[in-house]
Amino acid sequence: MLMLALESSAKACSAALFEDENMLALSIQTSGLTHSRTLLPMAEDMLRNTDKKPEDLGLVAVSRGPGSFTGLRIGLAEAKGLCWALEIPAVGVSTLEAMAYGGPVLDGQMLCCCMDARRGQVYNALFTVEDGKPVRLTEDRAISLPELEKELIASQEPWILLGDGAQLCYNTLDRDKIALFMAPEPLRVQNARGVGLAAMDREPVSANDLLPVYLRLSQAERQRLEKLQNT
Amino acid sequence: MLILSVESSCDETAVALVADGRKVLADEIFSQVALHEIYGGVVPEIAARSHLEVITYLADRALDKAGISRRDIDAVACTYAPGLIGAVLVGVNFAKSAALALGVPLIPVHHIRGHIAANYLAFPDLEPPFLCLAISGGNTMLVHVRDYTDMAVLGRTRDDAAGECFDKSARVLGLGYPGGKPIDDLSKQGSDRAYDLPRPAVHGDNPYDMSFSGLKTAVVNLVHHAEQTGEPLDKAGLAASLCRAVSESLVGRTMDAAAALGCERVAVAGGVAANSRIRADFEAACAKAGKRLFVPPLRLCGDNAAMIGAQGYYELLAGHTAGSDLNAYATKAL
Repeated sequence: MLMLALESSAKACSAALFEDENMLALSIQTSGLTHSRTLLPMAEDMLRNTDKKPEDLGLVAVSRGPGSFTGLRIGLAEAKGLCWALEIPAVGVSTLEAMAYGGPVLDGQMLCCCMDARRGQVYNALFTVEDGKPVRLTEDRAISLPELEKELIASQEPWILLGDGAQLCYNTLDRDKIALFMAPEPLRVQNARGVGLAAMDREPVSANDLLPVYLRLSQAERQRLEKLQNT
Repeated sequence: MLILSVESSCDETAVALVADGRKVLADEIFSQVALHEIYGGVVPEIAARSHLEVITYLADRALDKAGISRRDIDAVACTYAPGLIGAVLVGVNFAKSAALALGVPLIPVHHIRGHIAANYLAFPDLEPPFLCLAISGGNTMLVHVRDYTDMAVLGRTRDDAAGECFDKSARVLGLGYPGGKPIDDLSKQGSDRAYDLPRPAVHGDNPYDMSFSGLKTAVVNLVHHAEQTGEPLDKAGLAASLCRAVSESLVGRTMDAAAALGCERVAVAGGVAANSRIRADFEAACAKAGKRLFVPPLRLCGDNAAMIGAQGYYELLAGHTAGSDLNAYATKAL
């Protein structure tokens, strides 16, 4: 089965094409141009260059969050359009899980996936690796750096940092108490290859049920709730 | 020629199926008004989130209502500008990937051109050239529609849109959001001479440019002054006076332009076209000047996707299609 994977949760955007377990093509762009302009042409070119047509697709995988709200919606809206038109299912993949699948998956490694969520927090999930695949140790969450530091110290394990929040964690967390290693640069941030690999272990859903997981309310909702709590 | 059309520029998600730019086979709309009401206005992030949640449901329902299959779709049209950028992006990206997957042309449609085209759906015999006043919550412009895709903007608001003036006024009067309908309803119980509101004066050499921020401020100041001094406020009279002031600025300029250009047909479009005072004043002015007036029914005045499908058909005939690199824009010239 032919699967298209899309990733647009952060600054880079990427698309990958899989025939069953084999990746046929991967395209990554870090031009800074909006994903709304670049992502779909990448997928279209990739299909053309591999002698495939959109109607050959059997599944679309996409990062469902956390990440840039707008970036996520671009990828998800494109996935929904493809799946709706082709009447094929979709898989929404956690961005942090995609990061782990695309990372250094050597058995026994401990992976700490982090995206800079601003406001003193990172979007984070922890994984270990068994039989060459990431195994989840925590849910995806928005967590403050001191809280994450406490957890990592308590684990007494060495951690490999991934994601665009890796440097922030490396610079901020107490390296006297935690053994921290930066993942090698090409394996550090999420891309569509990891999205595709993670999707293979997940149940597909319909285009209607493909939904983002922002992990955060909109600013207006947050401020309204704060106001209500203070009165 | 069957067009699937998508609209998501503000707080309505809409999907329609339109045949040959004139016949509506399905016109599905999900209004987010209830989501934004508690905030007193549209919250862009909430709007964008909601568009993404409902868009495929609406597309499914449109197919069901029209009783057609995806394979019958000849082209996909979408609003690509202007609007809340996060909101427009959802419709654009859904539409362009659907067009790619279906192997059909993708047609970008300017939202205001869509509003103007709502008249083609309501009036099968209407053809350009005509003059159109497009008035909504975000836009106010006077357009000479020379041909289906050849338009000249004669004048526009220099500041707030007419709809923004109604929304803000409704807010200070405690009438809720959106403000157009409650102001209209309340105005019917009051005298339009109750308050002497300023007629927006516009300096410069374009007689068709408009301004509504001064009027908005005058209403806000009147309400605040009454609150502070405890003087009674004739809310119905204020609503009626406001409708009169807005209507006079719009109708006068439109009729002047129609006379200057020799336009025999005058059309009105956009959500503010639902205002009964503006409708009545246009009817009277056009009857007096011997012009034919076109105002779409209420459902076609607000944001909808059928109007995007109507304009999309004519854009397609003119060869105005886009590739999968189509982007969305918060602002764009007509």
